[in-house]
Amino acid sequence: MSYYFTILSPTDVPLFNIAFGTSKSGGDGIARFRFPDTAQYMNQFIIHSSLDMVEEAQWMNGNMYLKHIDTYPPASAYISAFLTPSGARFLLLHQPPQLPSTAASASGTSGSILGGSFSASALGGGSSRASASSVAANPTSPQTEEAVRQFMGEVYENYVKTVMSPFYRQGMEIRSSVFRSRVTAAGRKWL
Amino acid sequence: MTVFSLIIINKAGGLIYQREFQPGLRKLSTNDYLVLAGTFHGVHAITRTITPKLPYLATTPASNTSTTTSSTPTSATALASPSGTTTPIPNTTSTAATYMYPIPGVAATGLDSLETDKFRLTCFQTLTGTKFLLFTDPHMANVEPVMRKIYEFYADFVMKNPFYQLEMPVRCEAFDRNLNGWLRGRT
Amino acid sequence: MAQPPRHAAMLSLSNSNSNSNSNSNSNLSTASDSRQPAHLATASHSSTGLRVPSNRKTIYDRHLNRSRNAELSRASFAFLFAEMVTYAQRRVTGIQDLERRLNEQGYPLGLRLLDLLFYRTISGSTSSALSSSSSTSASPPNRPLRILPLLHLIHGPLWRLLFNRPADALEHSVSPDTPNEYMITDNDPLVNTYISVPKEMSMLNCAAFVAGIIEGVCDGCGFEAKVTAHNQPTEMWPGRTIFLLRFGESVMEREKVLERAGVK
Repeated sequence: MSYYFTILSPTDVPLFNIAFGTSKSGGDGIARFRFPDTAQYMNQFIIHSSLDMVEEAQWMNGNMYLKHIDTYPPASAYISAFLTPSGARFLLLHQPPQLPSTAASASGTSGSILGGSFSASALGGGSSRASASSVAANPTSPQTEEAVRQFMGEVYENYVKTVMSPFYRQGMEIRSSVFRSRVTAAGRKWL
Repeated sequence: MTVFSLIIINKAGGLIYQREFQPGLRKLSTNDYLVLAGTFHGVHAITRTITPKLPYLATTPASNTSTTTSSTPTSATALASPSGTTTPIPNTTSTAATYMYPIPGVAATGLDSLETDKFRLTCFQTLTGTKFLLFTDPHMANVEPVMRKIYEFYADFVMKNPFYQLEMPVRCEAFDRNLNGWLRGRT
Repeated sequence: MAQPPRHAAMLSLSNSNSNSNSNSNSNLSTASDSRQPAHLATASHSSTGLRVPSNRKTIYDRHLNRSRNAELSRASFAFLFAEMVTYAQRRVTGIQDLERRLNEQGYPLGLRLLDLLFYRTISGSTSSALSSSSSTSASPPNRPLRILPLLHLIHGPLWRLLFNRPADALEHSVSPDTPNEYMITDNDPLVNTYISVPKEMSMLNCAAFVAGIIEGVCDGCGFEAKVTAHNQPTEMWPGRTIFLLRFGESVMEREKVLERAGVK
């Protein structure tokens, strides 16, 4: 599983982003997206295109963690969102590793259908690195939701610490390397 | 237990506050109050200057070099030294090096209270030189706590007020209100 | 002899001040890092010019609830606030200008407090400090979606966070012309405790600073609003202050839509 995490200000200015891979079940924490290395901007495209969904859900659901809100089937990219009370959006794109079965099932538009096929493949073949972990292989399972929630919670804590710094103004890019390493650590811990 | 009135004098001797606490008390003219404040300020300074001093019987001759004062162990030398800038003695002269106050280590305070058979005037001077003059009944005991409370109100409602300018007349509605309320509550 | 240690202490102080944003020469600009392998991000921690305080503790190592129940000296706050008012008073054109500046000083605080307030509500699950909010101890509090929950958030938890007590009243404008106006009353605002406004500025209320905090909270939650502070003294409460919240058109329209959709 590969992840792309980004923080957007209430006015959609990117404040922070990071790409990383899973560290569960032997993962080395390096992102391996399906796009060629020259097309990493696809992550940003997909994540920003989900903003409409976020803004729709924002006023219907008072929770901070909005769970999995959007799917981009062609790249089988799943997007989870977390909203801070002050309007910053945390968006996490997760993309399961390329599996032979993915291409077939990716034609389905519903996330649950996809998830079903993934868990089936996870149950079927235990040899590949990604399918050995149920969390990593099934982007919409309750375990994944919970892991993402924990991840978001930990990032939120560090985000609040950033915001409380007297040198930080709202809407400023977060450039602290400590923050970055904290997010990386949270990713390693939960995802 | 009667408190007649309060006067506050700034460190330059100017009147910055004057209030009566008894209804119908005869008032002096503003000019008279200003003169009173200035005169009291002068008298207060004189009383400090005329504080009797005893000859200082030092084993080493008191020198007028300024560097020795900080290292001498006895506080009396430090007090009597003309260069003792850390001690609040404004009236030291060049001859004072060989004299000291009756109680070593305690600076001369000047006029503390002034008593007639009709009233008592108590004076309290803050570290910054502001003077509080309180006119009370001569039979009133415990002027000290009243004075301390007034000082507290002053520190709270005058000094913490962003619109108060230092050394200028006190026009703080919250100070008046709290002071009046507290004094009324006492009687 | 005392010189070297004092110098060292000052050095570490300046380090701790700048640790949050001194890493500007980090080699990871956001534009390029999506192309970089993720492991570089961790490696860069030691290679950047980041200066860490001598005790190796950055703001990220301190717990946010550390000062949750800490008390602050009222006197030092009063002196600080007095200086803030004096600062705001420089080169102002009038009372409205002064109130606007105080408001602007409070606004960023509101934005920050909002995040902190929610964080503390989540982590301090005992919820004793927030008993009046609608949240239960188990689940994290909801972001306010409608005006009323937002006002309750300000009236209760926010006021308690700031002043250790709830505000004294919360009212809706009775006039049909101004359904977007709400009022929060504080009988004795902490910020005004020691302040006596001169007669020639009698319209001024320094709680405009608090109004700015409220405005920041409202804006942060997505409720565009203008908040002003007004004197409304009574015999009992000479410092009584009313905070008038005027919500924007967009908020009122959304409020209607959400009401139809049945969102609480």
